Amino acid sequence: MALTGVEIFKMLPKTNCKKCGQPTCLAFAMKLAQRQVSLDQCPDVSEEAKQKLGEASAPPIRPTVLGSGELAVKMGEETVLFRHEKKFVNPCAIAVKISDTASEADASKVIDDVLSSEIDRVGQKLRINALFLSNDSGDGAKLEALAKLASTKAPAVAAIISTTSPDAADAALKHYSGKNAVLYGANKDNLEAMAGKAKAHKATLGIAATGLDELCDLTEKAKGFGVADMVIDSGARRAGEILRDNTYIRRSAVKKNFKPLGYPVITFAGRDDSMLESLIAVLGIAKYASIVVLNSAERWKNLALFSLRQNIYTDPQVPMQVQQNIYKIGEPGPKSPFLITTNFSLTYFIVSGEVENSKVPCRLAVLDSEGLSVLTAWAAGKFTASKIAQFIKESGIETELETKELIIPGYVAILSGSIEDKLEGWKITVGPREANGLPAFLKARA
Amino acid sequence: MPFTPPKESYNGKTFELTIGQGDKAVTVGGENVLAFHAFEGSVPREPAVAFEVQDMPPDDWPETVAEVFKNVSSGPVTWAKYCQDSLGAGIIALRLVSTHPDRGDASADQAAETVRKVLAAINVPLIVLGSNHAEKDAAVLVKVAEVLKGTNSLLGKAQESNYKTIVAAAMANDLKLIAMSELDINLSKQLNILIGQMGFDKEKLVTDPMSSALSYGLEYTYSVMERIKLAALAQNDATLQAPMLADVGMFVWKVKETQAAEADLPAWGSLRERGIEWEAVTATSFLIAGADILIMRHPEAIGAVKKFIADMEVK
Amino acid sequence: MLIIGEKLSIIAKRVREAMLKKDKGPIQEIAKRQWDEGSRMIDANIGPAEDGGEELMEWMVTTIQEVVSAPVCLDTTNYKAIEAGLKVHNNEWGRPLINSTSNDPERFPMLELAAKYNSQIIGLTVGKGGLPADAEERCAIAAEIMARAMEYGVPLEDIYLDPLVLQIATSQDHAMHVIRAIKMFQELNDPPMKTVVGLSNISNGCPKHVRPILNKYYAALLMYNGLTAAIADSHEIGEVSKTIDVITGKTLYAHSYLEM
Repeated sequence: MALTGVEIFKMLPKTNCKKCGQPTCLAFAMKLAQRQVSLDQCPDVSEEAKQKLGEASAPPIRPTVLGSGELAVKMGEETVLFRHEKKFVNPCAIAVKISDTASEADASKVIDDVLSSEIDRVGQKLRINALFLSNDSGDGAKLEALAKLASTKAPAVAAIISTTSPDAADAALKHYSGKNAVLYGANKDNLEAMAGKAKAHKATLGIAATGLDELCDLTEKAKGFGVADMVIDSGARRAGEILRDNTYIRRSAVKKNFKPLGYPVITFAGRDDSMLESLIAVLGIAKYASIVVLNSAERWKNLALFSLRQNIYTDPQVPMQVQQNIYKIGEPGPKSPFLITTNFSLTYFIVSGEVENSKVPCRLAVLDSEGLSVLTAWAAGKFTASKIAQFIKESGIETELETKELIIPGYVAILSGSIEDKLEGWKITVGPREANGLPAFLKARA
Repeated sequence: MPFTPPKESYNGKTFELTIGQGDKAVTVGGENVLAFHAFEGSVPREPAVAFEVQDMPPDDWPETVAEVFKNVSSGPVTWAKYCQDSLGAGIIALRLVSTHPDRGDASADQAAETVRKVLAAINVPLIVLGSNHAEKDAAVLVKVAEVLKGTNSLLGKAQESNYKTIVAAAMANDLKLIAMSELDINLSKQLNILIGQMGFDKEKLVTDPMSSALSYGLEYTYSVMERIKLAALAQNDATLQAPMLADVGMFVWKVKETQAAEADLPAWGSLRERGIEWEAVTATSFLIAGADILIMRHPEAIGAVKKFIADMEVK
Repeated sequence: MLIIGEKLSIIAKRVREAMLKKDKGPIQEIAKRQWDEGSRMIDANIGPAEDGGEELMEWMVTTIQEVVSAPVCLDTTNYKAIEAGLKVHNNEWGRPLINSTSNDPERFPMLELAAKYNSQIIGLTVGKGGLPADAEERCAIAAEIMARAMEYGVPLEDIYLDPLVLQIATSQDHAMHVIRAIKMFQELNDPPMKTVVGLSNISNGCPKHVRPILNKYYAALLMYNGLTAAIADSHEIGEVSKTIDVITGKTLYAHSYLEM
């Protein structure tokens, strides 16, 4: 099982040469123990250490890249079953299916939709990550035509080529050589040939099994054929099967370090009913899929699934932060109260919720305090008089207010004098300590 | 290669809880594994969905969901009957919004009268919710509990600041009770302990760890629910073995994503589908995390969630 | 174990008022009492102290050392205030301790001060934004702090690694992460790295009657795992510290060991 940083450190050269980019061998060992760096970054490590460490430092779910260039996404590397234990690392990729039986116009439309799917959410740019090109026709020429169309129109978008024919795979993959495509459709009948095609085009091999027994069998055989990168499908399609198989796969990999299932999972959410399909995708995102394949990608659905993916993959240790800004609650006028708090999202949700409850329109200033709550932020020097004063000054808010009065959280009452010194002409009022005191406080002023 | 599935079994099991009476009664809970994990244990009951009805017209609901009820929402009786008879609601959740000091400040007696009328008009189980004003709820729910006596309804919500009176009322009238804390598993446990110390039967309790909406704190509710379920099962913690409630609609239908016009934000797509999707996705996430009872608003979102629950069944 | 008396903190109303009025009385009374209870270093927490921090820290250090023959732990995020305190610190009774540097670039200059004034320093194993998830992450940050300390010319023997104790009421799993980190920190160097915690944070937010119980038992577990020092209430944990030192063989037993 995993070695501790100190155990790894003992096997390193201890020269502190910095060639790995880390300041010391100890720092490198600690990062290696956490799988934040890879062993090959150390040029001087001995063969013996390499062998011992290679196995131990390999993540339980193999890191794999989908696509190339700026839009490439990482898959795998997960280490836990529940997001509260430790952050889920690599957000699930979302792919949309295009059948090679579709007309060129229909196919082009889906590709255009994917190209324009990017949405900015809380500072992150989110989008559909891949096209799933499906050889439903059984005709290799049609699949190739579709691959050509997709790679020409959307050269930066990753592709998953789905076929059971090695020849069709070969023709289609030519358009994605070196672009970390997935070749999906390797099964017990075509495994060796498909493995060969995936290797030839440096593609990830997508295993299409019928059950977990067979899946283990196929990944081990593919490994024997020299395939390192795979994505795996147990054949689960109903929601209950997806939950069962994805749970077994994740548990085997991270709790038992079971290598035959230590690969990213591809989950098929496809349903005729688009909204139901989105809910199956919700299950995939929450429960361990690295790729979710959809039949359709309407914008309303994209927005919801992107948001969910962002929520589930948020680091529970890094509090979600609200952007530094002055937010309006209700329709505040020049006489409305003006409050300030920190940018820890839970603080923000609770404070803004209580202001809403009060039905008193307000302005709420949210200061970037690295996602800390009020008292913690103050103690850490992130919610101080000078930071508050600077923010208020630079915001230019005073032009909108009749009286320059700022309400600060009761917990930092100690700052009131100091802010008044730094913000000339402002009156600082101390508000309640807890947000639930706000409605009464605000109503009493109104 | 034969694969041995790494099954998990737990010492704990959640309490079964029944609300309502007769053949319309609804039972949830009783599972000894995580949500929908029937493949490694026993999941005797499906989660239940309640339709939210209010005691005053839904003037702050967005058009997408308000228009569904526009012919019936002038009064809670017609609204509740419509949900039961035309939409197939298995549970009605009546929210006494008008009792809130800022929303009309209806008296406890008026609220009790409303509840009496709704009870008379329906035969499915009833959840009665206050207006989320801790002080007023204590006064209102005491009166309401008397009307509910003998109906095996679910009353809520008791919070840290008002639980004593509400727990006493639920006990005196033999009702099931919702205990709500604000997104904190430790506070949830604490409130359930305090309620238990008053002599309230822990098997009559429903835990509401507080909901949220997709993109607005969903991950907090999600993880608190997963942790409550794990504590109930793995640690066999009886204070956390009550079924869980997700009061979804009230959080979802106030966020920007369910209100902003497509013309203003074309990248967000159709407002109607987006709103319904927002409620369905939020609700489904909480089901996966372990919610046993959902309170929702839009019948199409409820329909989608029910299809999801059916899809979860493996024959 | 070294107890660093925590009572002189701006968070306490009486202390805050004394600091504002520069009233030596309460400060010296509290410092003396902590010394009598077994604190061998006194923490002077003046908060972020943006205004007048230098003057305040200078005053605190001299005020404390007028009545107690112990070094002072200089506790503020204000760099200049730390330097002012170091300048007047009487090293005759031991070297001062800077509280603290960390992996946040804003706190790097603290190492410069430690080197310049030959002071000891606490290395808090947190980075910019976000808390360390577990013991491993704390160790990775510790290794970075150690590397940086060497660059600044601060010997590793002068660093106290602090894994950051979190509130049990909200972050229960971190109680064990911290215990593991204390164990692992020691292995990062030979001789073992020194360690320190802000002990009472474990019970922050808990009911008053529960707090001393949590603090004491937690101190015992941490000491058993090799903790070098704790910023703590000596009245509360003096007994724990002496007892665990006896049990683990760090001091020789005598019937009156508690009175020593």
